[in-house]
Amino acid sequence: MALFVQIVVNGVLVGGLYGLMALGMGLVWGVLNIVNLTHGALIMLGGYTVYYLYVRAGLDPFAALPVAMLGLFGLGYVLQRFVLGSIARSPLLNTLLVTFGLEVVATYLAQLAFSADLRTINPPYAGQRLAIGGVVVPLVPAAAFGAALLLAFGLWIALGHTRTGRAIRASAQNLGAARLYGVNPRRIFALTFGTGAALAGAAGGLYGLVAQLNPYMGNSLTPKSFVIAILGGLDRPLGVIAGGLALGVAEALTGAYLASTYVDAISFGLLVLLLVARTSRLIRSA
Amino acid sequence: MTLRWLAAALACAALAAVPLIAPSAFRQFGTEALLLASLAQAWNILGGYAGYPSFGNSAFYGLGTYGTAVMMARFHQPFAVGLACGASLAVACACAVGVPILRLRGPYFAIVTLGLSAMLAAIVRNLAIAGRNIGLILPLTRKDTLFYELALGLLVAATATVALLAQSRFGAGLVAIRENEEAAAVMGVATTRYKVAALSLAALITAIAGGIHAYWITFVDPASAFDGSLNVKMVIMAVFGGPGTVLGPVVGALLLSGISEVLASTISTMASLFYGVVIVVAVLFMPKGLWDAGRELRRRGLPYFGENLRRYRL
Repeated sequence: MALFVQIVVNGVLVGGLYGLMALGMGLVWGVLNIVNLTHGALIMLGGYTVYYLYVRAGLDPFAALPVAMLGLFGLGYVLQRFVLGSIARSPLLNTLLVTFGLEVVATYLAQLAFSADLRTINPPYAGQRLAIGGVVVPLVPAAAFGAALLLAFGLWIALGHTRTGRAIRASAQNLGAARLYGVNPRRIFALTFGTGAALAGAAGGLYGLVAQLNPYMGNSLTPKSFVIAILGGLDRPLGVIAGGLALGVAEALTGAYLASTYVDAISFGLLVLLLVARTSRLIRSA
Repeated sequence: MTLRWLAAALACAALAAVPLIAPSAFRQFGTEALLLASLAQAWNILGGYAGYPSFGNSAFYGLGTYGTAVMMARFHQPFAVGLACGASLAVACACAVGVPILRLRGPYFAIVTLGLSAMLAAIVRNLAIAGRNIGLILPLTRKDTLFYELALGLLVAATATVALLAQSRFGAGLVAIRENEEAAAVMGVATTRYKVAALSLAALITAIAGGIHAYWITFVDPASAFDGSLNVKMVIMAVFGGPGTVLGPVVGALLLSGISEVLASTISTMASLFYGVVIVVAVLFMPKGLWDAGRELRRRGLPYFGENLRRYRL
């Protein structure tokens, strides 16, 4: 029983981070109708930004997060404004291909700049843990989990209760009507993509604290973010976090009780089942 | 029309004669490029004509690879039996998964096909008969020329199939599905049957390419049989050349293979960057592919690129 609880706790801690990864992807997808295959690469870039800020500048990883988010916000804003904006109205396959190409380029440049070595962000307090009953809660993953929840909650508030947030949601629902009310779609879309990239950057920094960074990590994180974004519902931040938790727990249980080689198959199996079962609903809501 | 067929026959004959004069390194590059072109052409049937972009055709490639390898290495059957077994496995798989997954559209379909490939790879990794993670070793052969001709034969057969398909009722039905699926269904196109048939045809060609590659390399393992970068290459090649055209994917594949081979031999790490840059630039400036660009450039000149860049702007 204690083992089971421990596995679930581990799954929940990873799941919060998964949710944060998917948050940015879901936001961009829901508002801009772009399935951003560069998302995993943006997570990777965020991770390396925090890593180098810690190693070179001695900045605490949690203090470096906002800096990384700011940097990735800028990158995302520019990408949407000058590259993706010019194919905004083309068939979906085209945006898939362009974001995919950008992912390849980003991965290659990262490999050149950061080398293919595995890196971990390792602050002095990394090994500390808390024992509650028979269950061990490692401190850094727990803090990363807390930061993920905080960001998701912040996004939820921002989307629901600020002028810009309302403009973003309005553009998603009815672009024509939003324009009539004075929303500038180019600015709002670039802002949305930038926010998505900033969230990816935060997820990357936290990921570097609990797992290893390498230039290719985006390859597996993009489909994972996709699965979670669908599980949770695209533009509902709290739903996405719940989706992340579900996947985290499912993976932890699979790894512990079935076989670790099946972990990735599980997330995809879940996705296939879910999509096939919910097709009619998805088509109606699309 | 007759002139075109004559030109095609001449081109095939010229390609078939290449191994007689070219060095062996070129034969190997040629085999690789011809197999990739067959994969791009197979993707074109469902992705180009019917508008269903699959990112997981490597699932069928892997099944063809493993079908052939298991038959030859475990049951000591001849190559032809192995190839037939791999191809039927892939077609059976396409028919079985086709009905549920072809109900999905756009990104949902793309990601589920990607997942299918990952799941099959995970299953193969746990199968004792398929050699688990280690893979299988096939009987050794040293007939580069034979494999070159086999790959060329497959590409010619695939292209001829697509050429016939493009003029047939079946092809028209697929295009109708791409342009407007609801309208196609209302006009009496049996959309599900058409899509499953297209997927099965693509699976057949892809699996045969996998089988040929397996026997040529004489070694298979899960990582190379279900190689994700293969999906990427076939999609990029088909889209670069011209999706939904007969010769576009072939031209795109051969051209990109050639350039990437030259890059790989001069600046080794540039090859992977190359595919990324090509696809971004190609989609921005000639979203309908090389084939369309070639035709339109003659008519409208260089402004064609600018028009494309502005056409889909927000």
